[in-house]
Amino acid sequence: MAVRAPRSPTRQARRDERLVRLGLSPDRWDYLVALAGNPNVGKSTVFNQLTGLRQHTGNWPGKTVVRAEGVVLHDDKRVKVVDLPGTYSLQAGSVDEEVARDLLLFGRPDVTIVVVDATRLERNLNLVLQILEITDRVVVFLNLTDEARRHGVAFDVDELQRQLGVPVVPGVARRGEGIDELMHVVARVAAGKIVTTPHRIERHAPAVEEAIAALVPPIRAAYPNVPNARWVALRLLNADEVVGGAVRSGELGLLEGDEAEDGEVLGGVGTALGEAVLERAVALRWDLPPDFHDSLVERTYGAARAIAQSAQVQGLKRAAFDLDRTLDRALTSRWLGFPLMLAMLAVVFWITIAGANVPSRLLSVLLVDHGHTWLKGLTAAVGIPWWLDGLAVDGAYLATAWVVSVMLPPMAIFFPLFTLLEDFGYLPRVAFNLDNMFRRVGAHGKQALTMCMGFGCNAAGVVATRVIDSPRERLIAIITNNFSLCNGRWPTQILLASIFIGALAPSHLAGIVAAGAVVGIAVFGIMMMFLSSWLLSRTVLRGEATTFSLELPPYRPPQVWHTLYTSLIDRTLIVLRRAVVFAIPAGMAIWVVSNVQWEGASLAYHFVGWLDPVGALIGLNGVILLAFVVAIPANEIVVPTILMLTVALAGLGGVGAGAGVMFELDSVARTADVLTTGGWTLLTGVNVMLFSLLHNPCSTTIYTIYRETGSAKWTTVATLLPVAMGVVVCFMVARVWGLFL
Amino acid sequence: MDPIFFLFSLSLAGLVIAGIVWPRRGVLARMAASRHRSERVRLEDAIKQVHACHQEDHSCTVDSLAGRLSVPTGMAARLLTRLADEGLIRAADGEFTLTEAGEAYALRLVRSHRLWERYLADRTGVPASEWHVRAERMEHILSADDTEALASRLGHPTYDPHGDPIPTASGALPAPIGVPLLAATVGDTVEIVHLEDEPVEVYVELEGLGFGLRQQLRVLGRSDAAVRVLAGDEEITLDAVVAANVTVQPVLDADSPDGSRVTLVDVRPWETAHVLEISPALQGVQRHRLLDLGVVPGTEITPELVSSSGDPVAYRIRGALIALRRSQASSIMVQRASSERAG
Repeated sequence: MAVRAPRSPTRQARRDERLVRLGLSPDRWDYLVALAGNPNVGKSTVFNQLTGLRQHTGNWPGKTVVRAEGVVLHDDKRVKVVDLPGTYSLQAGSVDEEVARDLLLFGRPDVTIVVVDATRLERNLNLVLQILEITDRVVVFLNLTDEARRHGVAFDVDELQRQLGVPVVPGVARRGEGIDELMHVVARVAAGKIVTTPHRIERHAPAVEEAIAALVPPIRAAYPNVPNARWVALRLLNADEVVGGAVRSGELGLLEGDEAEDGEVLGGVGTALGEAVLERAVALRWDLPPDFHDSLVERTYGAARAIAQSAQVQGLKRAAFDLDRTLDRALTSRWLGFPLMLAMLAVVFWITIAGANVPSRLLSVLLVDHGHTWLKGLTAAVGIPWWLDGLAVDGAYLATAWVVSVMLPPMAIFFPLFTLLEDFGYLPRVAFNLDNMFRRVGAHGKQALTMCMGFGCNAAGVVATRVIDSPRERLIAIITNNFSLCNGRWPTQILLASIFIGALAPSHLAGIVAAGAVVGIAVFGIMMMFLSSWLLSRTVLRGEATTFSLELPPYRPPQVWHTLYTSLIDRTLIVLRRAVVFAIPAGMAIWVVSNVQWEGASLAYHFVGWLDPVGALIGLNGVILLAFVVAIPANEIVVPTILMLTVALAGLGGVGAGAGVMFELDSVARTADVLTTGGWTLLTGVNVMLFSLLHNPCSTTIYTIYRETGSAKWTTVATLLPVAMGVVVCFMVARVWGLFL
Repeated sequence: MDPIFFLFSLSLAGLVIAGIVWPRRGVLARMAASRHRSERVRLEDAIKQVHACHQEDHSCTVDSLAGRLSVPTGMAARLLTRLADEGLIRAADGEFTLTEAGEAYALRLVRSHRLWERYLADRTGVPASEWHVRAERMEHILSADDTEALASRLGHPTYDPHGDPIPTASGALPAPIGVPLLAATVGDTVEIVHLEDEPVEVYVELEGLGFGLRQQLRVLGRSDAAVRVLAGDEEITLDAVVAANVTVQPVLDADSPDGSRVTLVDVRPWETAHVLEISPALQGVQRHRLLDLGVVPGTEITPELVSSSGDPVAYRIRGALIALRRSQASSIMVQRASSERAG
């Protein structure tokens, strides 16, 4: 199957096991190709062009897992392409860097494609040179050559190829230029038809060279086939724990060429010799200058600069009008910056809310009204037991239908719009403008973006925090994302504001007053976000590591169709799928509590009885609290659940469709009647609005937070902090209310 | 409802009692342990102070030690007696010196302390003003094995983030270098080699002035009460109390006699500068990030965009536009190109 000598079965098994550990699915393939590069160089575009969008994005989102993988057929060979996280270096200083480095080192791809941004060649070559230290089989894809040309830069590709010692393919991934050539060259390198002679940085500072010279022989002795002994030596001198571990355990030996027949024996030898190598490295470290790491980076950049200068043809005619500079001046100017930003966001939200209305109603009619009736008819005809019918159709199906009809349209509009702004390059400027505000509360400017994303969906907002590469600021953004009022909660706010707050104003002003109240709640949420960011950064998150950097990429024309497609797949559908997965059990739970009888009354009746005193204390009631508990899977179903429980418990006739069946009334006035019968006052309305803003995230978000942080502790904090704030705020409102009214 | 309430209160009470009497983790057990620990902490602090006395060439008596430890004389005497009993110090004419064993013990404490400071600086986001206090606590908690594991994880650093040398595992400690800023020659260009971290208030003040290791200052004038220095473009007058915490070393080949060595903050938009170095005070991930972005000595760097709110500023670095916060820019030392300064 493979072109190279067949591996022994144990060897193959071990490699598979290693790849699974690195987060790859062990499909069968002939070549493994890794795609590396700086952030924002069009790596994903290259990936999509190579795989023709046929990749399964199943690895979403897991931070410790490589981002995406796909398999393509090329000349009858199955080529598996793995997209690595975009990184500036491979020093393993951040999780992303570690993921990329570990895959290159332990995943042993047959070819590594490094995507390089031609407009920032020098900075990109820094990474290329680091990768060339690890692996020989590299192909450089010189992307965005058109953009570089616009800036008056052209390239001597042959010279670049000669200097780097590996094939260089120029192209423009966005337009598909150079992709076929790239695939062709990659296949030839993988098959060994092109032999590379990678550029290696040979001359470090004398003290460093001495240490390397002393360490390479023992490494060679322990691992005769390691192709990059100098690099291993440098990493050991740099106290790299992962590489150190691999040397100690003998894993490094198992990575070598395929000729080693029996890994067990080699591993045994490796362990003893590896220990000796490590001891030697520790001893040598004493004589190294303290700024040893700095000097390594300096060397690499020195080489990158020399190569870039010899391969660039500069001083060509530039485009007459520099769009980037003009745009940047306007968008970040002192006077125009903020108004432009607010206007842009207002337009996005307006399009989302206005545009989502019609499809939401259509879906609701289709799924809830017709779909539910049709299913009921079907189950009646088939004659399945009443409890199964209730559990499946009234519980699981109806909850899911609610979630889909409320969530899908706004997400399908909001996410693509947001992604378009992102692709264009505007969002980093927003972060740039707002960073000052966020810095004061210990957060990162990019939190403004994840917050906006949270207005669409908190789970998506939490995933979006990956753009924040500083650990502490990322945690803050994750934990506080819930304070962005997500679109599962907007309808609740709007409904309650119309019933309770709009009613206070004269009828011609009611709409405006109600809208004002909803905006007020959202702004209050933003204030709470700042407050809790500030608290977190000064208390529990005080000691977390922090680094700030924000690259402002050049503006690029967004690829509209591509964006629509990927944001629909990557964000909308996946978020939706998770929501549905959680809505099903919630729907069943709601049905169960309202239909299972105990001591002559439904479970819901008992629960509400227990929760009532607690509810009264914070200006709510038992029904509301129970609804918030069962609606943990999806905030959308809070109001339907409240209505259903109120009707069932108050014994109202003529409304609703029976116990455990969620419904929404067709007019605001009738909803108001039901709620007033359930004992609601203006205070209850206000407090439910506040509590809907300040309570635990939905289970989809909680699960996403757990996946993203990998920490039960931070997940708990993110879950309980808003609940605590909500209880305190509601309690205070209720008490103050009691004083005056 | 009642039985449920009863059960609930009963289990709550049970939890509270368990929390108090639980072996090793309960409140009582912890209190006993902390009493035990605090005696050891006091003894270890006493050893350290005796060691510090000698480092600073002060005489070490019961009174001076009581002052240093802020404990009553009676307790100081008791601690010293105990240390003498254990063979860690010896007394002669009312002065105390460390025995060989005592010296080794003291150096081990200093090593743990400085390594922990290094760790906090490199691997966490704990603010600089807290390093000392936290290390003061950790030095008593880290075992010898912990310390060695930490040293190996950090790549066996040689200096702590304040510029103090870290004693080696075998107990070698290089002599401190430099002279107090108060004693520097007027007119000299000097480089900061050490910033004392105690008292914290003074350290925070120095930090607020933007002082960091390796920063160059020009001594403009000096009186008994104050020192006047030029830092970058800025003339700063330091009280003697503050200046006493700064140790400097004269720079022989000062690369900026004309003050063109400044921090990146002082470079105006569209003015080009060359990086000289990243301040050694900036360590760990923050430093690595800047290096990875290409901020290495010699890099050309130009501020191009100021955000609507004034901070951060976006710089052109090796072709890319990178926004850096003021606090980061202030730890990048650059050399202005003099021709551009004139223009």
